[in-house]
Amino acid sequence: MKKNYSLIFGVLIIVILSLIAVFAGLISPYDPSAIDDNNLLMPPSSQHLLGTDGLGRDLASRMIYGARISLSIGLIAVGIATIIGLILGSIAGYYGGFIDTLIMRFVDIMLCFPTFFLILAVVAILEPSIFNIMAIIGITSWMGVARLVRAEILTLKEREFIQASRAIGASNFRIITRHLIPNAIGPVLVSATLGIAGAILLESSLSFLGLGVQPPTPSWGNILIESKSTLGVAWWITVFPGLSILITILGFNLIGEGLKEKIG
Amino acid sequence: MDKLLEIKNLKVSFYLDNKTLAAVKGANLEITNGQVLVLAGESGSGKTITALSIAKILPVNARVDDGEIIFEGRDILKMDEKSLSKIRGKEIAYIFQEPTAYLNPVYTIGNQITEAIILHQDKNKKEAAKETLELLGRVRIQDPERVSLDYPHQLSGGMNQRALIAMALACKPKLLIADEPTTSLDVTIEAEILKLLMELKKELKFSLLFITHNLSIAKKIADKVSIMYKGEIVEEGACESIFSSPRHFHTKELINAYQKIGKI
Repeated sequence: MKKNYSLIFGVLIIVILSLIAVFAGLISPYDPSAIDDNNLLMPPSSQHLLGTDGLGRDLASRMIYGARISLSIGLIAVGIATIIGLILGSIAGYYGGFIDTLIMRFVDIMLCFPTFFLILAVVAILEPSIFNIMAIIGITSWMGVARLVRAEILTLKEREFIQASRAIGASNFRIITRHLIPNAIGPVLVSATLGIAGAILLESSLSFLGLGVQPPTPSWGNILIESKSTLGVAWWITVFPGLSILITILGFNLIGEGLKEKIG
Repeated sequence: MDKLLEIKNLKVSFYLDNKTLAAVKGANLEITNGQVLVLAGESGSGKTITALSIAKILPVNARVDDGEIIFEGRDILKMDEKSLSKIRGKEIAYIFQEPTAYLNPVYTIGNQITEAIILHQDKNKKEAAKETLELLGRVRIQDPERVSLDYPHQLSGGMNQRALIAMALACKPKLLIADEPTTSLDVTIEAEILKLLMELKKELKFSLLFITHNLSIAKKIADKVSIMYKGEIVEEGACESIFSSPRHFHTKELINAYQKIGKI
């Protein structure tokens, strides 16, 4: 059998990143918000592996804690989106008719909004806390999942084993949750993995615009925006967060592609 | 003998986008307790649709236009979904033509039989799992512990059909509807499954509605035979009289068909 390299590399990247995020407290060399007046904008050295920022904070520590924020936003936002998409998509696909039309037109309406501006508008009204960011990204990105699930359910519900489970007296709820969704989960998993990458990028963009995670809590996006003013003298503050966003997204995309090859 | 099921003037049609097709045009059937009724006829004569009407598990685009289905004194066609799901699997159970397609590919055999038990009986998982093994033994599966952990694709069609029979009999139904359960199996397996069904019928005392186009099966197992042709029951009678003095030309055709094969 051909080795699935994209899956292996993707999983490797994400496992390492997750370990870093989980054990942030143990491995980060400094307190991420400790200000040090004597070491402003220090380039990478043996003392500060990735250098320091304009307030003398250790960049490596800030990025390690930032990994925690960015990854959890990615996971939870996609979790919310997937759950909403699964529920609405399976109801639409299973019941069909008027309910289907209602839900799918709602999906169309949601898709008409440029998501990013919708999020900007909502964040402008609500306060941009980490929880709000997760919820908003989740609530505005479930439509793809819903369409995918609906399409899967439409073909699955005609299969014989669904008729068989009706014949043993399973209720509609049971048929959907126990028989249809587990059979439709493959493609959903693929799209969720790819979705995590998108959510992380979205959070970074929001933070970059100052509407995401608020300082002093470090996220990769808001480290980037702080680096903007000192870009001319301190390249490291821009390059390292940018690289970590790139690598994370690469990791999730590789997993997504690998899964697609395997199960999708 | 007591009447278990009586179908009166059943009419079922398929509603397609621009036309209606009558599949069953006024069928009448009667099954008494403990009886084996073989419903025979060519493909497309409406046998399966008649059978699916009994527990109202018709495809979505098929509808019952008229008639009565009296099961133990109650008209099934007038019941709501909730009371129907109490009858399905518990009072009326089905086995189907292609066993492998009628089992859910993502669950083990044991898991699916356990589900059928839990749906209608007040038992916990452990008791149900134990009963599953007993049921598998009852359908003459040699190694119930191992088979219950297998997935449908790991087993042969004959084994899967046995598993489906175990599932159908899990709640000791009063009526078992077998829709060409041996058509997709080879001849030796067919003989085994038929023998098994007859033995189980003696043990558990259910009535059997057996659907087939193969009259040689009818000759082996039937108490009564009904011949269906183009949506109507055209001939009905005790097994011996159908074979000794067939009246309708389609009955003669069916008898000739299997006798010809027998001669080869």
